[in-house]
Amino acid sequence: MYLDRKWDIVFWITAAFFVGAAADITRLLFAGDWDFWVDWKDRQWWPILTPFATIIIPSAIQYILWAVWRLPIGASYTAACLFLASWVGRVYQWQDFVNYPLTLIWPATVVPGAILMDFILLRTRSFVLTSIVGAMVWTLAFWVANYIPLAAYLQPVQFMGHVLTVADVAGIEYLRTQTPEYLRQVENGTLRSFLDQTQYVSLVFGSTVAVGGYWIGQALARFIALWPVGRGIKRL
Amino acid sequence: MTLDVRQRTDSASIEAQWFLAMAWPSIALPRVMDATHFGPTDWFGAWRTCVLACVGLCALFGALSTYMHAFAWAAGTDATSPQFARYWLSLLVGELACVGVGTVGWWAWLVRSGRSIPASVTHSEEVYRIAVFWGLVGATSVVLYFMASFFVNADGAWHQTTVRDTAFTPPHIVMFYGAFPLGITMSVGTALYGITRLTKIYPASSGFPWSFFLLIGASVTEMMQVALNEWGHSVTITEEIFSAPFHWPFVIYAWLGVAIFALWIETLVRLLSIEKGLADLGTEG
Repeated sequence: MYLDRKWDIVFWITAAFFVGAAADITRLLFAGDWDFWVDWKDRQWWPILTPFATIIIPSAIQYILWAVWRLPIGASYTAACLFLASWVGRVYQWQDFVNYPLTLIWPATVVPGAILMDFILLRTRSFVLTSIVGAMVWTLAFWVANYIPLAAYLQPVQFMGHVLTVADVAGIEYLRTQTPEYLRQVENGTLRSFLDQTQYVSLVFGSTVAVGGYWIGQALARFIALWPVGRGIKRL
Repeated sequence: MTLDVRQRTDSASIEAQWFLAMAWPSIALPRVMDATHFGPTDWFGAWRTCVLACVGLCALFGALSTYMHAFAWAAGTDATSPQFARYWLSLLVGELACVGVGTVGWWAWLVRSGRSIPASVTHSEEVYRIAVFWGLVGATSVVLYFMASFFVNADGAWHQTTVRDTAFTPPHIVMFYGAFPLGITMSVGTALYGITRLTKIYPASSGFPWSFFLLIGASVTEMMQVALNEWGHSVTITEEIFSAPFHWPFVIYAWLGVAIFALWIETLVRLLSIEKGLADLGTEG
């Protein structure tokens, strides 16, 4: 017979290129700036925009792999592909090409949230429940997983007579076209009046936004990936 | 959505006759098999297309990226300088010429040779073609990665450190006028291969496959978005914010490109059908 493991090997390896690229470009275009710079990783916008942007393609691949092959690994596979695509881009282009230090430009990870979301689908076998519970867990896991590497950069430091964070100092030292302070969409507005509740308010709102992102991914999988199977356009 | 991955027939005799008819010999596969001594699913058989195409494209884009790293800062920051014309505009012209000639030649060969291929083929030959098709789909996936992630990161990094004085910046020349056209080359070429070689999966009577239409649409709209991007930058000069709204249409590529999974699924359905038929008959094609 003709079906052997080589088909699996070819599929998983070649699909990884597209899956990683699709996840990366979706994140770059909707939340790129917050993911590029350590001083943009704030409590106000980062936990809202990045989980929304990063859940779309994992949701689509999760649906495809579950609906066609009953494999509960779609989000995890996508997160792993995104991890590789992100790090290749940051190390080879951002660090090697234009010499930004990795401490300034490290990408956020979504791997823990993806594993949990796949687990929720496996247990519930429901895309509705996964969209609600899984997307919220996705956002919370995003914050927890990325707060660990971020915490060191939030330490206070005195710089030219002002108290800043280490992340702020890194952003000031390395000039970018984004350097002017008025360009930064970081902790602006009056949400800061909530003081230490800021991040929790953002996380709850980010969770609800991620539910919407999850269903965008579901629509892509259902109508762009699976609906066309075996269908042709009779008339253009 | 439920996929019927096993095309069933009511009568075993009808199925046997159908498989015997499918086993009508053709010229192409025996010639290939005799020459290579490899089976349709050997790495050096049909999968050779996948390996060579993917490795070749990675090498090509790796070489372009190495060139970009070497000469972008040395000769790519002043679009009016003689060095820029020598190192970058010559690359731009060379890319467009090579991709243009290569694309037209490959597409023409696919169409012309496709007309002379027998419609009835053995199962072995059909599997061979599906494996070659997967190789082309995989190569398309590789190109889409360099289009939408690898060089996008280079472009973002470049614009954060240098303010553009031309639409033809070094990363743009590599990405917009090298990788993007190759995306169209691969997606349309893959469609031509499927339509001309896999007529059991993509019969003419079913019309133009939606899966190909959407994948081609992804690469074409990505190329068209370049025009909006350059116009937008000329109007608003939003060099600073990568997530600027007029960048958002670039995401259409990634979202329409999800149709690439339809190609894998359509051919897998056929593969499973062949496997089941052979298993039922207890023989190989």
